[in-house]
Parts: sequence; C-alpha cells; structure tokens
Amino acid sequence: MRELELYFGPQHLGMVGNFSITLKVEGDRVLEAAANPGYLHRGFEKLMEQRSWIKNFPMVCRMNVIEPDSMEMIYAMGVESLAGLQVPERAQFVRSIYLELARVGSHLFGLWAYANMLGFDTVAQWAMYHRDLVLDLFEELTGGRVYHIYIWPGGVRRDFPEGFEKRLVETLHSIGGCVPDYNGTFFENRLFRDRARNIGTVTREEALGMGGTGQVLRATGVPYDVRKIEPYAAYDRVPWEVPTREDGDACSRILVVRDEMIESVHMIFKLLDEMPGGDVYNRIPNPFKWRIPAGETYVRCESSRGELGLYLVSDGGERPYRAHFRTPSFPHGLTVLEDALRGESISDVGNIMISLYVVAPEIDR
Amino acid sequence: MDRRLQGLEEAFDGLDIEPSRDGGKRLLVDRGSVLSLLSALVDRGFDHLHMVSCVDWPEQKELELVYILSAYNLGGSFEEEHRDVVMVGCRVPRNRPVAVSAIRLFECAEPYEREIHELFGVRFEGHPRLTPLFLDRHYETPPFRKDFDTRQYVEDFFGRVPPVGDGDGERT
Repeated sequence: MRELELYFGPQHLGMVGNFSITLKVEGDRVLEAAANPGYLHRGFEKLMEQRSWIKNFPMVCRMNVIEPDSMEMIYAMGVESLAGLQVPERAQFVRSIYLELARVGSHLFGLWAYANMLGFDTVAQWAMYHRDLVLDLFEELTGGRVYHIYIWPGGVRRDFPEGFEKRLVETLHSIGGCVPDYNGTFFENRLFRDRARNIGTVTREEALGMGGTGQVLRATGVPYDVRKIEPYAAYDRVPWEVPTREDGDACSRILVVRDEMIESVHMIFKLLDEMPGGDVYNRIPNPFKWRIPAGETYVRCESSRGELGLYLVSDGGERPYRAHFRTPSFPHGLTVLEDALRGESISDVGNIMISLYVVAPEIDR
Repeated sequence: MDRRLQGLEEAFDGLDIEPSRDGGKRLLVDRGSVLSLLSALVDRGFDHLHMVSCVDWPEQKELELVYILSAYNLGGSFEEEHRDVVMVGCRVPRNRPVAVSAIRLFECAEPYEREIHELFGVRFEGHPRLTPLFLDRHYETPPFRKDFDTRQYVEDFFGRVPPVGDGDGERT
C-alpha cells in the first residue's frame, strides 16, 4: 500500500490546542509521527530576563493556560530558594489547598477535552460546568478567573475571605456528588472502555526511559509523585494516597486523572481541618529594587500533568539571568507522543494525544 | 557526601563536586567526559534526566550545558539523600559550540538538545535530527543568546509594518 503524509492539526477537530503532528501513514495505520510544536512559542524565558523578579509573575502563569497556578508556585519556589525566603505555616496550607483546587479545575478541563473528543458531549458539558464552579471560587479568592497571580515569594497575596472555606466545601461537595453520574455515564460506559483500552499503551520501561512522570508513569503502576518524594507546601502534613493503575493505556491514564481528582478533594478537606492560624506572607524587600544573590537552583513540584521543574539562575541582579522550565508536556508531547502513536490507527491519534494530557503552550513556552 | 557520588572525583580528572545552594550537588566536568560521567551517574541510580538546559556566559566566551538528574528510585523509600537532584555542568566555547548528544543514555534528551541547538546554536554530535523545533525563521544570532536583542529585533521586524491609514490615501 502507498505511504502518505498526513497533517494532523493545528486546525483539526481532534486536536486540542495549537499543535500539530505530521503522520506518515499506510492505509489507516500510523507508521511514524513527528510532533510540531512552536505555534505558541512566545520566548517567555528570554522575556523574563528583561523583567524584574516580581514582574515575571504575570508572565509565568501564561505558560500553562489550563493550570497557571503550578507555574506561579514553581517560580515562587525558585525565587524563594535563591533569596532564602521562608514561608509562614498558614501560607503553606493555603498554597496546598489552592494548588489542589487548581488540579481539580485542570482535570475537569482535561476531562472536557477527552470526553468531547470521544463524542460524549453531555459529560463534556458537565465537566466544563463544574470547572466553572471552581473558577468562581478562584475569582472570589484572587479576582481573576483564569490567571490568578495569587502565589508570590514569601507566601500568598491574601488570606481566604470570610466564609470562603464554607463555600469551598459546598462547591466541592456539589461536584463530588456528581461522581456517580460521571461514573455511570462515562467511566464505566462500555463505549469509553472499548475506545480507550489498549490504545496508546506506554509500558513502564518506556515511560521511565522517556522521562515520563505524572499520569503517564502512574498509569503504569509507579507511584511517582513529587508531592510525596520531595514534599513542598503542606503536602506532608496530611495523609493521602497516590492513585495508580497498571495497564499504561489511555483508559488507565484517564482513570488515574479521575482518581486524582477525588483524592485532591479529600486532601482539601483534610488540609482545611488542620489549617493553622497566622500570617499568610512574609515581607519581602522592596520589589522594585530587589536584588537576589548570585546562584542557581533547580526546584520541582507536581503540576496536574506531572513533574514541573524550574532551573533558575541569578547573577546578583534585579532580574533573572536565566530561567528554564521543565514542563511535563515537553517530554510527553514530543518523545512519548511520537512513540505512542507508532502503529496506531488514525482515528485514535486525538484519543492518544489528549489521554497523554498534553498542553501545547507548556511545550512552546 | 551522598555515598552514591563517592569515588567519582578519583575516576574523572578535573571533576569538581560542590554542594549547590538548594542542598543538591553540582558537578562540573570537561565536555570530553560529560557522557561518561552521565553514564557513571546512571549506574549509580540517577536514572531520571529532568532536563538539559543551557546558559550563555558571554564574558567568559562560553555556553554552559546543564544536565539535571535525579533518581526514580522505584520501590525504594525516599529518604533524604535519595531526593537529591544532581546538576552536571559542562562548558563549551561560544564560537565553536559543539557537544556530544546524550540520547544514547536518555531518550528524553532528544527534544531538549533540539531546543538548545535552535535557541543557543549548540550542535550535538550524534543527534539524529537537529531540525528547528519552534521557530520558522533563520536567525543569524541564536535568539536566546545574551547578545540577541529582543527589543531591537521586534523593532526591526515589526516596525517596518506601516500603520493603518498611513499609506497613499487608498484606505480612507
């Protein structure tokens, strides 16, 4: 049969985000895939070298549109590490609650994308609606729906407003109350299982060899999670589990996403119970004249997609000398995706890509 | 010192191990032995390459490649010392930036090396496709080097677009 070159995206119904894949196909089998990022390359890391330490906060969160909060967190962690800043105990809890809420919002968005791609429009609309309820909470807490710029060096911008905790719990209960509906309509539905099982399988050895983290690795039975390995914020103050699955296929990855969402909600309840009083930020030097001692650091945290890292260098000046983000979508969307697509059917390309939870702006930066 | 790093200094000439600011370790090595050092680190359990980064140091006329590694540590407990992240630095001259590709050891180094080739102009020997990853134009100075002036580039490139209504009156 004849080999053809097929362009999948950036304008394609099965493609979420500005990203494309060049496929070499024979019949409807993919022989080879080449990922083409770059549609959203804005050179943020270079632009950061021209802005003061504090002015970079509105910039870093725009690297991941769907979950900007862990980008704020990682940059704040980098600055704190270089400047030797401490964070008050209450702020650690607020950060963890905020980041877990962001994870729930991000996973709901991911579920929207996945369900939409499979044709489960109803489930997709539910997920989008529930994400909007999470965004309402963010709006109340930070003033912004999508980009929040809430975490900053030394703590968070403000404490929870009055009655916020109650509304947070109510909203999470109302979303959690729909889990049986989601299960019945989607996760236990044969249509989903048949479409996702044994599709885009990444074995444990492959995932480890290709720098896989997050759901890609946890779907192969490895409980690798930075929140456990190198606990930051308040993740070591309450007990929680790392959900895993064994099969390494699209189905396992999506089920890990669901289980993580449920675990995050439980974690928020536990964190709220344990939350101490006190300040939510430590004073930092005048941000307009803030010089950070020369040095370099590598910090990491667990974003909703996997391990997020930041290599940050200071030359003792008012701006970062170099910032380089290790975003989880970079290995997942380039190395892992190209490998997972080989030998699959054209109709499963979108399925595999979205199940790998790739976010294009995170690759391009 | 982390016992996983013991004996490395004797095995590699000119290897410099120092604690980094965040509690990890910083290893500086000649570019000729970077691959064998990475390989020795893999044997000692550092099997997770987080990223390959590059920093431009124009005053020293060098580019520094930074390999960041840690351990997946499957099935093991994450005691304090197993959390350590190790940074391996290797300097290459700015005017002849050539390094050896680490794909043989870490498959995930492939896109990072492509990125560094495109943005810093470092050529990786043994890399199967050093094609552009993000950009579609050719830049004389690799755009992430310190002497690439982003503002000047924007002015030169986009400043030439005439403002609307500033033509010969046809648009009125």
